[in-house]
Amino acid sequence: MAHAATLQIQQLSKQFDVGGTRLPVLENINLDVRPGEFVSIVGASGCGKSTLLRLVIGLDTGYDGAILLDGKRIAGTGLERGIVFQEHRLLPWLTVRENIALGLVNAGVSEREQREAIREHIVLVQLEGFEDAYPYQLSGGMSQRVAIARALVNRPEVLLLDEPLGALDALTRAHLQQELQRIWLREGITMILVTHDVEEAVFLGDRVVVMQPRPGRIKEILDVPLAHPRERGSAEFAAVKDAVLHSLLGEEARQAA
Amino acid sequence: MQTSLSTPPWRYRRQLRGAAFPLTLLLLWWAAYATGWTESPLLVPPQKVVETFWRLAAGGELWHALGASLLRDLAGLAIGSMAGVAAGIVLGLSRWSRLLVGPTLHTVKQISLFAWIPLIMVWFGLGETSKIVFVSLAVFFPLLLNTFEGVGSVAPEFVEVARVFAFTRRQLIVRVVIPAALPSIFTGFQLALIYSWLATLGAEYMLTSGPGIGNLLTDGRENFWMDQVLLGVVIVGVIGFIFSALAGLLARRLLRWRGPQANRS
Amino acid sequence: MAPPTIALDRDSVAARRAAAPPRRPATAPVPVAIPVPIRSTARRQRGRLLAFALAWPVPLALLAIWWLGAQRGWISQQTLPPPGMVWDTFVNVLESGELQANLQVSLVRVLNGFALGAGTGLLLGVAMGLSNTVKEYLYPTFKIIAYVPLLGWLPLLIMVFGIGETLKFVLIAKASFVPVVMNTYLGIGNVPAKYLELGRIYRFNHVQLLRSIVFPAALPSIWSGIRYGLTHSWLILVVVELLASSEGLGFMMANGQQLFQLDLVLVAVGVVGAVGFALDRLLELVETRLLRWRRSAF
Repeated sequence: MAHAATLQIQQLSKQFDVGGTRLPVLENINLDVRPGEFVSIVGASGCGKSTLLRLVIGLDTGYDGAILLDGKRIAGTGLERGIVFQEHRLLPWLTVRENIALGLVNAGVSEREQREAIREHIVLVQLEGFEDAYPYQLSGGMSQRVAIARALVNRPEVLLLDEPLGALDALTRAHLQQELQRIWLREGITMILVTHDVEEAVFLGDRVVVMQPRPGRIKEILDVPLAHPRERGSAEFAAVKDAVLHSLLGEEARQAA
Repeated sequence: MQTSLSTPPWRYRRQLRGAAFPLTLLLLWWAAYATGWTESPLLVPPQKVVETFWRLAAGGELWHALGASLLRDLAGLAIGSMAGVAAGIVLGLSRWSRLLVGPTLHTVKQISLFAWIPLIMVWFGLGETSKIVFVSLAVFFPLLLNTFEGVGSVAPEFVEVARVFAFTRRQLIVRVVIPAALPSIFTGFQLALIYSWLATLGAEYMLTSGPGIGNLLTDGRENFWMDQVLLGVVIVGVIGFIFSALAGLLARRLLRWRGPQANRS
Repeated sequence: MAPPTIALDRDSVAARRAAAPPRRPATAPVPVAIPVPIRSTARRQRGRLLAFALAWPVPLALLAIWWLGAQRGWISQQTLPPPGMVWDTFVNVLESGELQANLQVSLVRVLNGFALGAGTGLLLGVAMGLSNTVKEYLYPTFKIIAYVPLLGWLPLLIMVFGIGETLKFVLIAKASFVPVVMNTYLGIGNVPAKYLELGRIYRFNHVQLLRSIVFPAALPSIWSGIRYGLTHSWLILVVVELLASSEGLGFMMANGQQLFQLDLVLVAVGVVGAVGFALDRLLELVETRLLRWRRSAF
């Protein structure tokens, strides 16, 4: 049984039908993600990065090309791929514990193991004491942590993160970036993060994929050869961040940034 | 404007003011009788209403009538709610059902409830069955419509969560759709409670066989017993109030996940 | 104090993951066929046409069953007269002017009573919504009256007013009064505080505050109350005319029922339904401009 799968995206293209005309959203996306790797995807709005994630998770269909997990084509959604959305999407009528349990509904594990798993993941995201709270009682950051726990509880091969920290304030964002890194280091799950925040992308990723819009294409893929823990203030960090910005915005804009 | 005085007269200011109007009316009523303002037999003193209450309560007629009415109400409520919620879920989930049956249902809903009575009388006779059918009908439509709307407005974001976790259709309905629709369904239920009581009374006016509060009222009217009629009005109001209060309690229990903002009456 | 160095030791992580297998069934569950909402405009237009076309099969089928049933004698004439007979009766009462006369009587009653009830309802609702003092004095009394359903008042009002026009007028007025007051009062009360604060920041005087902020914000609720009021008025009209009237659509119904002429009853029911529908639709068209379109998950 594979325990951290390889994700291969081959010549992926997608078009939307808008008022009769076909609008290309993604064009010829090629990406190989190694097991346990953390890949960040950055790009301006409209470059199709969210659509890419939705195709990988199986919520959107109808594309040309192939998405392979361990060599097998994906078909619709599945528990081997998890996702954290920008909105936490916690079911408001369920407690924190019950929300996390949603990930285990179809996991086919025993009651005891379910309880164990939930407890383990509450500890992982550091929300002990809040098991019986309702979403309306939680802050944005806490809710997103529950969403992360929910996505991880059934140990997916790949975790997709669609701008998960975009709706949070800067302080919470920084804190959760640390958390995400800690969780990733601990669990070793392949993670693909989509973000518009370049610093976040460089802080978390092993590689940064830079996309450009209209149609969405990969412009280049940059390696982040920095050790963990990453120091945001270090010169090496700034250099990588600069390189990404340069790729993203072009020379003039980088001078201004 | 807040007054921070909390000495007795001011603390209960709200309750005192609220009671002022009805108490004044009560006083005027009693005064009108006491001063012999009119000879009409319609003017009965407040005391007489209370006397009638004790008389009917002690004799058991009151409870008999009340029990019969409540039984019809609850039977109709049960049947109508189950049918309405079930139909609402089916319609809300299936675009095809909605397109095929929806317009017909919307049109039928428009038919004034009481217009059904002559038809029901012909089809189901003049007895209990007709009354319960009528009450069920009154309950069916608000629940159908509110359930339908609740189900139809389940946030697509939640449905996507269910898809990501590979929920079967049944799991989706039970774990996501119904809880999400519950606030709407409950609003429909509260409406249905009001309608059910209205329909019970109406049925008793129209189909006068058998005991009931409606019959109490009709008898009082026919015999010009104002005291009995007034008693009836009070009882009908009290039952209405109890229903509302119970519904409110139920709402607070079932919907506590909505937080404090939503539970204002 | 430097944070502890966390190196990604891929081997130990891999070993840990191998020891803790993923939690999911061995065979993937069958993907759920949940329809995705229609997004493109072309499909939406086809959708509207389709919706219109699909509205007809069910009622037409019902009509066909009805006609067939009467033809073949499955349904006796007493239970349900054939559609043809109902249509003939409809044409009859239309030509004789009986339908129009009764319809006019009913409509006039409703519109009069509704005007009074909704008018006073708006006044009271606004007064209670805007002034806390008024609310404290009048709301409990109003609530008490509201708890007694319309039909509860009927015998009392018949005793006091007899079964003339005044009875209908008062009852219909009360029918529209309660929902209008409730919705107006709640609508004004539910104007979000942040909008009111905005008005205060821009130093709106009372009139401006009411005109630009309070009433527009409360309008959906108020209009909802007006719609309910009209529906209730129409509803109570039928009851009252059924029980205590010698003219009007409700009377036509009662008359038909007493004469065992179910076709007459059906004609009256049909007209009641159609008029009620038309009135509500009229108000709904106005409301649609106020209500946002919500997208549906199904």
